[in-house]
Amino acid sequence: MSHHIDMEDAIEPEPVLLSKHAKNLLRFLHLLPARMASHDNTRSTIVFFAVCGLDVLNSLHLIPPKLREDIINWTYGGLVAPRENEKRCGGFMGCRAMVPKTDDSEILECIRKYQWGHLAMTYTSVAVLATLGDDFSRLDRKSIVDGVAAVQKPEGSFSASINGSEDDMRFVYCAATICHMLDYWGDVNKETMFQFIMQSLRYDYGFSQEFEGEAHGGTTFCALAALQLSGQLHRLDDNTKERIKRWLVFRQMDGFQGRPNKPVDTCYSFWIGAALCILDGFELTDYPKNREYILSTQDKLVGGFAKWPQATPDPFHTYLGLCGLSFTGEPGLSAVQPSLNMSMAAYAHLQHLHELWRNNSDLAHLKLGSKGSTANATQTTTTSSSPLISAQ
Amino acid sequence: MSDSSDDEYFCTDWLPYSERKDWEDIKPLEQDDGPNPVVSIAYSQKFRDVFDYTRAIIAKGEKSRRALDLTTDALRLNPANYTVWQYRRDILREIEADLNVELDYLGEVIGQNAKNYQVWHHRRVIVEMLNDPSNELELTKNALDNDGDAKNYHAWQHRQWAIKTFNLYDDELRYVDRLICEDQRNNSAWNQRFFVLKHLGFTPEVIQRELVYTMNRIRIIKNNESAWNFLVGVLRQSGGDDQYQLNSHPEVVEFSEELYNAGNRSPYLLAFLIDVYQEQALHQKANNEQLARKVFTLCDDMATKHDVIRRKYWQYVASHLKSQLDKEKQQQQQYQETEKGH
Repeated sequence: MSHHIDMEDAIEPEPVLLSKHAKNLLRFLHLLPARMASHDNTRSTIVFFAVCGLDVLNSLHLIPPKLREDIINWTYGGLVAPRENEKRCGGFMGCRAMVPKTDDSEILECIRKYQWGHLAMTYTSVAVLATLGDDFSRLDRKSIVDGVAAVQKPEGSFSASINGSEDDMRFVYCAATICHMLDYWGDVNKETMFQFIMQSLRYDYGFSQEFEGEAHGGTTFCALAALQLSGQLHRLDDNTKERIKRWLVFRQMDGFQGRPNKPVDTCYSFWIGAALCILDGFELTDYPKNREYILSTQDKLVGGFAKWPQATPDPFHTYLGLCGLSFTGEPGLSAVQPSLNMSMAAYAHLQHLHELWRNNSDLAHLKLGSKGSTANATQTTTTSSSPLISAQ
Repeated sequence: MSDSSDDEYFCTDWLPYSERKDWEDIKPLEQDDGPNPVVSIAYSQKFRDVFDYTRAIIAKGEKSRRALDLTTDALRLNPANYTVWQYRRDILREIEADLNVELDYLGEVIGQNAKNYQVWHHRRVIVEMLNDPSNELELTKNALDNDGDAKNYHAWQHRQWAIKTFNLYDDELRYVDRLICEDQRNNSAWNQRFFVLKHLGFTPEVIQRELVYTMNRIRIIKNNESAWNFLVGVLRQSGGDDQYQLNSHPEVVEFSEELYNAGNRSPYLLAFLIDVYQEQALHQKANNEQLARKVFTLCDDMATKHDVIRRKYWQYVASHLKSQLDKEKQQQQQYQETEKGH
C-alpha cells in the first residue's frame, strides 16, 4: 500500500473482466433482440461463440445441466439427413427458418427440398457438441462428410451448401474442420483442395479468399488451418513458410490488422495469432501491445469485446478477443487449439472419440452409417422434436 | 455483426400479409424452433408475418409474381437468408422474369448491403444467367468510389470475377492507376494491378516498367507497405534463381540504398534491404561475412529503433540467417575434408 496511486496506475495492467465476459456470453444463449434478426441464419455461430467462449473462460459450469441439454438438442434439431434418393445435402442448418411447425406430412415433405446442411453451421455445431462433451452418437458421420464432398468444386474449393452459395477459402476451412473433427474424409479431394489453396497464395505471401483476390488475414488463417487439419502443412517449403510468416508478423500494429494499410481489429488477434501459431511463429509477436489493444476494446460495463475501442461489443469479437488473449498466456483463460478454434480440452475430447471409433470397429461401422440407421435417421431429424432425439 | 432495421422501409402503408385479401388462400406456417430453443430471436411482428408466409410459399412450391414480391420483403428483413435468395432465383427462372429488372433491384440492394455475401452471390448468378456483364464494372466502381470504401473486399471480388469471366481487362490498368493515385496505400488497388499484369504477362518489359512505376510511387510515400510488397512481388516474377530474385534488377537495390543513405529508415525499406543482403550472403557462399554483418546490423537496428514491435522477429531473422550460414560453412568444410581424403 506504500505505492503512490499514480505509480500503481502506470504499472498495473488492465484486468480482463473474466466474469463479466462470461455473463455477457451466457446472455446470448437465451434471448436475442429483434434487431439481430439479420443473424437469423447464423444462430449456430452465436451458440458457438458463447459456448466456446465460456469454455475458454473456464466457465462451462455456468451453463446449468438443463440448458446444456437444450443446447445439444437444439443443435441436433438442425441436422439434415438426406435419404438415399435425395441430394447429398447432409450437415447442420444454422437456423429453423425452413422448418415449419405443422403435422401436415405433405408440407414437411415439400420443404425438405430447401433444407440443406451449411458447412459453417456444421462446423460450429459439431464444435459446440464437442465442447459440451457430447458423444456424437446421434451423428451419421458418413452422411455429413458426403455432404461436404458434394459441395466441393472441381477446382478444389467448397461452397457452403448444395444450393445458393458462393465458394471460397472460408468453406475450404470449414470442410477441413468437419472432416478432421469427424476423423473421416470420405470422398473429399484433398489434392484439389491443396491446389486451390496454393493458387490463392498471393505475391505478398498472404492468402486470398479465392485465386487472385487480395491477401487477407482471415483467409490466410483459413488456408493454413485447412492445410494443417488435412495433414498437408508439410507440403509448404521453408522459404514459403518464412515469407508467409513475414506477411503475418507485419500485420501487427499494436493489435493486428487484416490487410496492409487497414485499421486494426480485435478479431485479427485471433486470425493472425492462430495463423502464426500454426507456423510456430506466434512468439515473434509483441504480447503486451497485442493485449493492450484487445483490452482497449473491452466493455467494462457489460463485458464483451468490440472490434474497435468504444464500439459495441458482440459475441464474435468477444470470443475471438478471448482466444487472442489466450495465445499470450493470459491467466484465467484456457489454452486454445488454433486450427480448430476451440479449447484444448474440447480437442482432447475429440481425440478421445477418434480413438474409440478407431478401436471399436463395430462402432466405427455404425458411425459411418449402415443403411438401416441412415434410413431411420432421415425420417425426422430436421426438427428437434424428432423421436431419435427424444429417445436420448 | 450489424443490426437490421426494417422500420424505414415498412413504416408507411404496411399491411401484414395476414390481412391482405390477395393472400387469403395461403395458410401461414410458423417456424418450429423445437420445444426448448436457445439463441431465440425476439422477431418483430413484421418479421414473423413475412417469414410465416415465405415458409408457406416455399413449402407449397408456388413460383409466381406475388411470391417474388414476398421474397423481396423477406430479404429486406434478412438479406443473409441464402435459402430465400435461392428460392427467389427459382422463381425468376420459372416465371421467366425480366432479369434486367432484377439487376436494377440488386443495384439498390447492394448499395444498402455492400458487405453482404448473399447479395453479391445473387448478382453473380443473375449476370451469368443474362450472360451480360455490361453493368458490372460500373456497379463495382460505384461501390468502391461512392460508398467511401475503396477496399470493399466483396466489390473487388465481384469485379475480378466479371473481368476474368468476360475478358474485361482492357481499361482496368487505367482504373487501378487512378485509385493508386488517389490513395497510394490502397492495397486492394495494388493487388488488382498485379492481377491485371499477371493476365497480360510479366514480360521483361512489363517488369521493367512496373519497377519504375513502383519506385516512383515509393519516392512520394516511402513508408507504404503496399508499394514495397508490390515491388517485391514484381521482382519475384523475373524468373531465374528463386533465391536471388530480389537482386535480379540492380537498379532497385541502388534505389533502396540511395533512400537509406539519404537517411530514410522506413521499416519496409529496411526489411527489403535485409532480404536483399541476405540473398547476397547466401548466394555468395564464400567470404560473405561482411554481407552477413550488414544483415545483423540492420536486424539489430530494426529490433532496437525502427521496428521495435517486431524486435523478436528481427532477432529471429538474424539467428535464422546465422544458422543457415553455419550450416553452409560446415558443409563446405566437410566437402574440403573429403576432397583432401581422396
